[in-house]
Amino acid sequence: MLAMRSIGQRPGRFLATLLAAFLGAGIIMTFNSLYDTAGRPGVDPVSSDTLTTSASVVGGYGTLLVFFAVASTLTVNVRQRAGELELLRCSGATPGQIRRMVVGEAVAVALIGAVLAIGPAMLGGQALLDAFQDSGQVAGSVDHSFGPVALLSGVDITLVAAAGAAFLAVRRATRTRRPRGRARTFLAYAALGLGAVSATSTFAFSATDEALMATPAYGAILLSVGFALLAPRLLKGVLDRLPLTGSSGWLAVRNLRRRADHLSGILMSLILFTAVSVATLYMQGVESDAMRASGAVRTVDAKNLQTLNLTVVGIIVVFVCVMLVNSLYAATTYRRREFGQQRLAGATPGQVLGTVGVEGLVLTAVGLCFGTVAALAGIIPFTVVRSDSVLPHQGLGIWLAVASIAAAATIGTGLVTARRVLRAPAVEAVGSAA
Amino acid sequence: MFRTGSRRRQDTGPAAEALRLVKVTRTYGTDDSAVTALDGVTLSLDRGTFTAVMGPSGSGKSTLLQCAAGLDRPDSGIVRVDGTELTGGGEAELTRFRRGRVGFVFQQYNLLETLTVAQNTVLPLKLAGRKVDRRRAEEVLTSVGLGDRLGHRPDQLSGGQRQRVAIARALVTDPRVIFADEPTGALDTRSARDVLRLLQEAVRVHGRTVVMVTHDPVAASYADSVVFLADGRLAGRMDAPTPDAVAERLAHLGDDVTAGV
Repeated sequence: MLAMRSIGQRPGRFLATLLAAFLGAGIIMTFNSLYDTAGRPGVDPVSSDTLTTSASVVGGYGTLLVFFAVASTLTVNVRQRAGELELLRCSGATPGQIRRMVVGEAVAVALIGAVLAIGPAMLGGQALLDAFQDSGQVAGSVDHSFGPVALLSGVDITLVAAAGAAFLAVRRATRTRRPRGRARTFLAYAALGLGAVSATSTFAFSATDEALMATPAYGAILLSVGFALLAPRLLKGVLDRLPLTGSSGWLAVRNLRRRADHLSGILMSLILFTAVSVATLYMQGVESDAMRASGAVRTVDAKNLQTLNLTVVGIIVVFVCVMLVNSLYAATTYRRREFGQQRLAGATPGQVLGTVGVEGLVLTAVGLCFGTVAALAGIIPFTVVRSDSVLPHQGLGIWLAVASIAAAATIGTGLVTARRVLRAPAVEAVGSAA
Repeated sequence: MFRTGSRRRQDTGPAAEALRLVKVTRTYGTDDSAVTALDGVTLSLDRGTFTAVMGPSGSGKSTLLQCAAGLDRPDSGIVRVDGTELTGGGEAELTRFRRGRVGFVFQQYNLLETLTVAQNTVLPLKLAGRKVDRRRAEEVLTSVGLGDRLGHRPDQLSGGQRQRVAIARALVTDPRVIFADEPTGALDTRSARDVLRLLQEAVRVHGRTVVMVTHDPVAASYADSVVFLADGRLAGRMDAPTPDAVAERLAHLGDDVTAGV
């Protein structure tokens, strides 16, 4: 009850979570509707195969992304309401009541997001099927179907992700501070270890194996997950070696060092974004070149793989970008009071923006650096096995494109949001706890 | 301790008149809902004085402080800090005007959580692009009793300690005027007394000018004189105030105003 009233009063605050749930549910339902389509009577085996492969690969990614995205927005949301939750606790709410309120809110918002996503997901599934039909991978006679698999998986995954993330976030927020869990470190090293094994095992395959791309790709993803989990520590390590001068740089380094734990979500998005897009795009490039060199005619499978790869990258780029913008916007808006304090201490608006810019630059550089390392760990084994060289011949173009998107999203969002935040007079910004 | 530090002065010596307001008016809102927070206030404060500004809630004392300190611009009237007139311009220009001229102490301290005590203290110097003299910063922090807390963060300090950091931060730039907005409003009596003594010392020993907004007659009694404000207008002045005399005067401030209307 408290949950519904809490949402009703401030819908704006839940916009970020709603957006994450909407996009996540949309992606899951779009791809899982391919299962429904494949399951219709009278679909030939080749078409059915194409559809289910796509659904399982992207559906898997999608689930991971939704968990990640919903969790990161909810964590930010709960952290920003620490004051409100404290007030509730002081006015007699038990930890259980607070937990129920926050989890209830999250589930309600996620449900709204998932329901809103049904329409767009139907259209998206139809468009995806059309694309497969145009390229001849699926027979033209197959009709799109949006059935129980799409609907149930989309709603269920989004709700479970929201409830789980809210539960963890509120538990963390209502508990007194304690050192970072050992579980996270263990998971991080496990992901790094598995990633390294997966990437190296590429060498066990021969150049023409169908599944050749799978192991380096998963290796790169696992490595990037590992780096992402270690993000706060990596960031601190880099900051200790950063000789930044000037008042904006000085302040930026100190802010980042103190807020490293809070920024891990943003850094995580950046690392995953870089690793997944760079690894997939370069490996696809190497694969296409090798096919062309061998003069082989493209099989349906090869085409499938390419479509899939490009779709996955496209979705991840859009999704992670939205999440990045989303969480950066929320985090920057929340710094209203801090910016006000800087201004009262004698910072001009330009200096505040300068600090935000330097922070964005450092974050982008760190994210790109570790994302690229993870991607290279997948690309190099793949290239060595598939062709005769060590590095792909695609040049730096793709990397530069990825890097500029990441930089534009990170620095751009920070600066635009900070500018808006700075419009309020400093005294007012310091006074209100918004 | 807080030397006047003539070597840090960029211009000629300080003016005899630290602060001057002439017919300052400030109105919030428009048309029907307009509220006149300041109504033609004229005020002059000499260098080396400690003045408390008092008045009931909504009397305009915070607006007065913000206009005088260059945090807000009056609708009309003249504000002069240390002989220099505050003119129009954007926020960046106002910020540059405040640097080196004014220092602030707020009720809510307004220390940056991400910085240590020492870093918070030198922040205004860093932002102004001035040379950071760490030894002097440490001296100032020692003089406010925080010499052993340089590496602590604000959330590791008590309210009184945070306010003393804020005072050190206001002193380290050698400002002509220090503005304090309810500096003891969130403190227990003991910490409040420490803070008020530090402000007093800044004036009596080091010749600075302090303007303090407060609603507490005891706090006001630490000042050399009290200026009363009611409904945006000056409503009297008291030299060598005692807590009882200030409370008495405050209690009857409302009567005069209603009688006048």
